[in-house]
Formats: sequence, C-alpha cells, structure tokens
Amino acid sequence: MNVEQTVLPKKFHDAVLHWQRHNFPDYGLLPENWQKYFPSDPDFCLCAKMEVGMGDTIEIGDKAGQARMTKPSEMGEEPARHLLAIIRAQASTEFGSIQQHEGTLARAQDDEDRFWVLRVMAEELRHGYQMFHLLVSQDWSGVSGQKAEEMVEEILSMRTGSHVLDAFNLEYDSFVDNVVFAAVIDRVGKYQLAMQRVCAYKPFAQSMPPMLREEAFHLAAGVIPLRRWVQRAAQGNELVTMAAIRRSFNKWTPRGLEMFGHEKGGESNIRFGFKNMKNAEAQSLYYEECRKMVADLNQRYLRARLPKLSPEEAERVAARLLDDRGRHNGISYGDLIELPDLRFFRRKGEPAFTMVGTRGEAFASVDEYVRHLKSHLPEPYLHSRDMKGYVETLRDVEAGRVTVDQAMKKMPKLKRVGGVCPCSNSVRWVVEEESPTIPKNSSDLRPRSNQSTPKSI
Amino acid sequence: MTSTAQEIRIRPLSELDISRVVAIDERLTGVYRPEVWERRVGYYLRRDPDSCPVAEIGGTVVGFMFSDVRGGEFGLEETTGWIERFGVDPDFQGRSIGRRLFEAVQAQMAGHGVKMIRTLVDKKDSDLASFLRAVGFENAALQALEMRVPAEQRPGGNSK
Repeated sequence: MNVEQTVLPKKFHDAVLHWQRHNFPDYGLLPENWQKYFPSDPDFCLCAKMEVGMGDTIEIGDKAGQARMTKPSEMGEEPARHLLAIIRAQASTEFGSIQQHEGTLARAQDDEDRFWVLRVMAEELRHGYQMFHLLVSQDWSGVSGQKAEEMVEEILSMRTGSHVLDAFNLEYDSFVDNVVFAAVIDRVGKYQLAMQRVCAYKPFAQSMPPMLREEAFHLAAGVIPLRRWVQRAAQGNELVTMAAIRRSFNKWTPRGLEMFGHEKGGESNIRFGFKNMKNAEAQSLYYEECRKMVADLNQRYLRARLPKLSPEEAERVAARLLDDRGRHNGISYGDLIELPDLRFFRRKGEPAFTMVGTRGEAFASVDEYVRHLKSHLPEPYLHSRDMKGYVETLRDVEAGRVTVDQAMKKMPKLKRVGGVCPCSNSVRWVVEEESPTIPKNSSDLRPRSNQSTPKSI
Repeated sequence: MTSTAQEIRIRPLSELDISRVVAIDERLTGVYRPEVWERRVGYYLRRDPDSCPVAEIGGTVVGFMFSDVRGGEFGLEETTGWIERFGVDPDFQGRSIGRRLFEAVQAQMAGHGVKMIRTLVDKKDSDLASFLRAVGFENAALQALEMRVPAEQRPGGNSK
C-alpha cells in the first residue's frame, strides 16, 4: 500500500471547509475525541489520496490493452462526458450523505456509535474532496462547458433533495437511519468503488483503493451497531426494535438497488473501460450480499433469544420462520428482519412504479398499495414530502396521466436556486422541466440537466 | 490480494465475516463470544482490511488471520507486523489454509515496508507454535513476562 497525498489549491480547499462549517458542524468533535474512540489510528487527513503502483494498462472495454489515460482530452468527447457525470455523481453522494447523517447524528443512544458515524462522515468529506481533486486538477471544460470553480460550486450547493441520486435526497428519521444507511447505501458505494478500480482513466482508478479501504469501516459502522441492536432487542430492549430496523431496511433497500442504474444499462461503462460489471450484474451481487447481512442479523437475534441453538440451527430456524410464516419456541417470523423484494417500492429502473409488496406480492389498487407501504415503512417517513410526491406520482401513473418514464423524472426535489452559501435563503421545492437531452432509461448516474428551468411549487 | 487456487479463496476481511469468525472461534474454544469479535473486527476494518485475510471454500469462510502494522511498542522502534488473531475451522484443518493466510499477510506486510513480523504464542499451544515455525518463525530474543495485579489494587478490590 503506497499512497500519495495531495491537497487542493487553497480556494477549493477553503470552499470545502466553508461548506463543512455550514453542513457538518460536528466535524470539530472528531479530532477532540479521536484518541478515545480510535486510539493508535493515524490522524484523519482532509486530502486526496492516490494509490501508487497501479497498472498502466486498460483492463476492459474497447481500449483494453492500451495505456491508461491521464487527461480528459485523451478519452474522446463521449467517454469524457460520461466519466465526468460519474465523478460529479460520486462527489454529490459524498457531500449528500454528510448532510443526511448530520440531521440525526446527535440522537445516537451510544457515544461509540455516534463517533463511528462521525468518522464515516469525515471520510465521506475526504471522498468528496478526492472527487474535487479529479475535477480541478485537469481541464474538463471541453465536455463540461464549465470552469472548475463552477463545477465545484454546483456540487457544494446541492442540498438534501437536489442531489444526483435519490438515496441522498431522503431525510433521516432517526439514528436508526444513520446506521441502516451505512449498512445498505454505503454497500452500494463499495460496489461502485470496486468496479471503478479498473477505470481506464488512471487518476480515477488511483482514487479507488484508498476510498475502498475507508469504505470497509463505513460498512462496519452500519453492521456492527445493527448486530448489537438486534442482540439487545432479543433481550427485551424496547427502544430500538426489530420492527424499527426492518422498516428502515424497507426504506433504504429500494433506493440502494436504484443506485446501480437501470437494470438494462451499464454497457457503455464497460465499453469505455470505466467499470467491470453491468448494472444488473452488480445489483444482483449486491442484493445477495444484503440477504447475507440480514441472515446474519437474524442469526444473532435468534441465538440471543435461544442460546442453545448452534449457528447452523439458528440459520435454519430463521429461514424456516420466514418461509412458512410460523413460530418457533415463542419467536414469530414477524420478530425477524426480512429484506424486501427487489421490486418493492421502486421508482427507477425496470420495476419503477409497479405495485409490488415486500414479499413480491402484487397489488391491484394504489390505495391498497399505500396501506401496505404504511405498514412496512417507518412512520415518520410516511409524513415526508418524498412519500407524498411518490404516492401522487403513482396515482398519476395508474390513471394514465403520466408514463412511467415521465414519472421517473417527475419527483419533486428540494433544489438550491441561488448561490453556494447555505446562509442565503435560496432553497425552493422545484420540479424540473423534462429535459429532451435525457434518453429513455437513462442511468441514474446521469446528473440532472443544468438546462432545465426550475419552477417553484 | 484476492487469489483463487485449489478451491481456497483468500480475500480481505469484511464486516459480513463476523458471523463465521464467531462460529470458527466457538468451534475452537467452545465459547460463543460475538461481542468480542464485533469489537475486534471493527478495529481491524478501520486499520487495514487487506492485512486481515480470510479463507473461503465454496463461499464459506473457513479461516482468518488478523494482523496489524505498528511501531514503537515495547521499545521496538522498527515498524512491526503483528499477527494477533488466527483461526481455521477444525473441519478444514490440514489443507494448508493457515499457510495461505500467512502468505497473504506476509505479502501485505512487505507492501507496508515491514521488515519483521512478530507474534505471541501460548506455550501450551504446541500446534500453533509448530505451524508458525513451519512458515518461518524463530525464537525471538524478546521474552514475554506477565504479572497478575493484586486483587486489592483492582477497581472494587479491598484497598487499605
């Protein structure tokens, strides 16, 4: 492991710190408490880290076998535009997740859990910084039509509601969301980073290994508190229940699945040599990994309830309970966590706006489906603007007032329509005009069109 | 670091390996202690998951070796690779899994610029000592010493 560290030019570094002061005020608590929670770990560094010693040859795609590219101009216009969209989307997710985490961070019941998430947030800030390094250290103006300053300002101006990917536009309802998000959504991040390690554009490929090493802890910051919570729930803790965890999984899993892009997409990523898997393949592996995570949590719960069970017996009992919806020694299937069906509550991709329940059951009417969602999603989330927009759009789809393609683009978003500094009151709920430049079934990684006209609603 | 040969796959530790690590430890020691491993795996994942390989056969984790690179301990200023936790499922012992795990650790340590790898072994654990000698470990000039803290000096003890 050999890594070179770089800092951004001062104006960009200062812009990130300015953003941090407004969006991540708890950042300062981390160095104060580092030795208590992370003794002997190297201090946190807000810098870009580039892996040294990665191969110089393109591994995949049309240019496989040729030398990896080091400048956007070497890629050709279409691939460069495509990669720029990926980098911007990646940057948006990093800053977006900090904004989400910050809202409920202080509600953690355990300080250790809180400081683990705080470290995750700081490392997400570093990952956003890493993407800025890629944007500002080379000239992308040929494909962006923007100066580096404008690209950075645009990303820093995004708020929960205006980020590129839907998962980063949902508010957290409680600290349960901080933890489930780390376990479910950061897991998508791991897949994206791992796929991008092959990238034909060398600076992007070099950015991935250091980020992946940090991402391993982010997933632990989700799964380990979850394991402790299910164990406490089994011992009668009424505060963080299995039902609360299950509902949070139902909220985040559909958004995680959609982060891979449309199930039929991903071809161009491989053709350009940017990733080594198509969307559907990566999404399928991800879903299986989530199933394993949930199976482990259920095993942890069952062994806390029934200590005489062996690991294998606990696994079998959990599988049988979920399969036959029965009971075992006083434990019901409803006490366990169940990963929702791939098609549940989807608004992007092949199953978008189909009314499929958590167990794959089909619903015939919107009212019936909304009742199902109500009984399977976190209650505070039902009160959200996001849910209202989803249900209204679903009714429009079912009534034939909009097509599914139109519906996928119709969801209202909170968008910053003014300058970068969040001190100003320039945030409005807007619906973007449909952009003719976005093709059908476009990948979620395509940024929102800058050409659209925001309308206040 | 991922490699595949003779049906054994060596890969870095992940948070989803905790259940299998707990199960292997339970088989080796007879004690179920998930809290211990949750804490330890959390530690190693934030340090360097690549230095903590696990061995998979048929998609199931059957062995692990957790190591860490540190310097300055016990007056040893040189950067040292410490092998701290190691276990192979008894059903899969005798298949060179420990050796494969050690080779992965050794390669990772070399990448970190480590010149010396160290570990401690219980004198009663002759199998482990034999394994470590077989992969190249030798007696160290250092000697492990220990002392039990008198009961009256411990928190809650009777102190005068």
